[in-house]
Amino acid sequence: MRSDSMFFYNLSLAMQSFKRAPTLYFLIMLTLSIGVGVLCANLALVNSMASDPIPEKSDKLIHISMNTWPGDQPPDEPMHILRYRDAMKIAESDIPKRSAVFYASGVYARDVESTSMKRFDSDVRATTPGFFELTNAPFAYGSAFEKDHGMEVVIGDELNQKIFAGKNSVGKTLELDGELLTIVGVLKSWVLRPLFYHATEGRAFNLTDDIYAPLETAIDLGWSIHARSSSADNYSGVEDTRDKNAYYLQVWVELDDVNQRSLMQSYLDNYSQQLKEAGEHPLATRNELHNVNEWLSVKKVVDQKVLAFTIASVLFLAVCIFNASSLLLSRFHAAKFEVGLRRAIGASNRHMLIQGLTESVLLGIFTGAVALVLSWLFLKLSVQFLPRLANIAVLEPKLLVLGMLLALITSIASALYPLYRANRYTISAELK
Amino acid sequence: MLKMNNISRIYQNDTIQTHALRDFSLNVKAGEFVAVTGPSGSGKSTFLNVAGLLDNFDRGQYELDGVSVQGLKDDELSRLRNEKIGFIFQNYNLIPDYSIFDNVDMPLRYRGFSASERKRRVEEALEKVGLASRLKYLPSQLSGGQQQRVAIARALAGEPKILLADEPTGNLDSLMARQVMEILHDLNKGGATIIMVTHDPDQAREVSRNVQVIDGQLADFRVYAPLDRTKGNAGETIFNAVNEEMADA
Repeated sequence: MRSDSMFFYNLSLAMQSFKRAPTLYFLIMLTLSIGVGVLCANLALVNSMASDPIPEKSDKLIHISMNTWPGDQPPDEPMHILRYRDAMKIAESDIPKRSAVFYASGVYARDVESTSMKRFDSDVRATTPGFFELTNAPFAYGSAFEKDHGMEVVIGDELNQKIFAGKNSVGKTLELDGELLTIVGVLKSWVLRPLFYHATEGRAFNLTDDIYAPLETAIDLGWSIHARSSSADNYSGVEDTRDKNAYYLQVWVELDDVNQRSLMQSYLDNYSQQLKEAGEHPLATRNELHNVNEWLSVKKVVDQKVLAFTIASVLFLAVCIFNASSLLLSRFHAAKFEVGLRRAIGASNRHMLIQGLTESVLLGIFTGAVALVLSWLFLKLSVQFLPRLANIAVLEPKLLVLGMLLALITSIASALYPLYRANRYTISAELK
Repeated sequence: MLKMNNISRIYQNDTIQTHALRDFSLNVKAGEFVAVTGPSGSGKSTFLNVAGLLDNFDRGQYELDGVSVQGLKDDELSRLRNEKIGFIFQNYNLIPDYSIFDNVDMPLRYRGFSASERKRRVEEALEKVGLASRLKYLPSQLSGGQQQRVAIARALAGEPKILLADEPTGNLDSLMARQVMEILHDLNKGGATIIMVTHDPDQAREVSRNVQVIDGQLADFRVYAPLDRTKGNAGETIFNAVNEEMADA
């Protein structure tokens, strides 16, 4: 009862204090808000970049890089893209629980029943069916296609919204670059930050794809490769790549444990060695397996500049706290009389400390609210200058909580020294 | 009620050591009204600050209402100040943007009283000083005398054992000063123990005992006959000594 009443009394004192020096408190709040806002915006970027996009099995999903380049100018590192027959060799292995072989493409899409001739520029993932279970792709309607061949597609939520207003479009037919394919599944809104299954070529922060098509169908239809590829042979189109030394397919497998990983490594090494012995490549056997987080780390998905800027933001926040502390010190100095009076009539140092901390917490809450708005603005601004950040410049709920906590901590930190000084005032000095 | 034995208070900076109180001893009994006089810088205010637990002392013993204050922690000292002492300052020390009610209510907040108990005490205290109708006024809307009466109400609201007044009429004209002194005398008649620092010899003569402080020491004390202004005997000395131990007796 007593502590409740003191809590509300301290709250009213804090509000009174704000009213007495609104400009000064506004400056303190603004100073801290800018510091927290900038740091929070950077943390939002780092959080998106460094987070685990599929924590439930990120240690089981393995990206495969191989070293089977047949030419006389081999790459320094094993290649993250494989040729068709290498990829199929992996896909036919029964060691992995699941596997996915895919490449990125693009088509123009329209609903064949639509009276409009408008076509939507759509990103395509030409993939084996294992992709969906491997990546835990969430289905809103229908299901995955079951074969590598077939005039069937799964579409993403965004394209479904654009073409079918978000309704169940399973069974509808899409015209994709002049070919008719039936929708068998529609995904829910699906965000992967980073887009681990295609973390190369600066695509780690792209959205998930619009269309998922059977791999063999896409190859047969000649849907072009919209990602990095390398080839030691000439080929006319993607449909001509199956038996060529054209490297463009990414391969992921799902391995349940280290034993399977070890078996997979041996399987790849044996295969690579056989190719070498057959004279297909002159290179040392070097095949690499990386789980999701290892792969994101190898690909340096977390931008070092953003990290550096985050460290700079921490230092900037420290300067903001110092400035806010100086302003609060002047405020507390001006309030020496009241501190002395309250102490004289019975307030203990503890009372004054709690009163000061209540004020700081309240200030911290206001600061947090403003900081989060500023943080959102900073992110919007950063996207203006760096459009590639568009899909990661988001304030997730945990960042909102972190921002509020940061604001509270900084507000309290900036009040600590002024409070310490205020508690050392000689009570009688200000009273006559 | 208040017992000080050989209290010393020394202020020191880099170059100067100032003995504000030297072996200061005083015993004030319950119900006494003691005036503390002396020249400026003699240590009167230091005595009052030490007595009111607003300042530390370096040597000696001090007992307030049977509680030895040496070694008490800040929380305990604050509770003693809150429960046993009422302060009346020369400058009233009211918070300008608080209403009269809120100013008087302040010490009660730290006492943990319920809202209804605080309201009752504030109204009673303001009733005693004749300002019960001004609860919502701001200090700036009152005269100096009225402000000092509010300060007295604030000191009274917690029903302290002792009132410490530091030149309570120093900023008032003679009429308002008279009103304030009458309130203090009434309170004393009602049993309140009061120690008042004053420069005014007439006021000093009005009270039951006058102690004089010079160079931080108790230099003199006089005990006066009970005040009866109607008979004009105020200031009649019935006892005079320089021996502080006799004062204790």
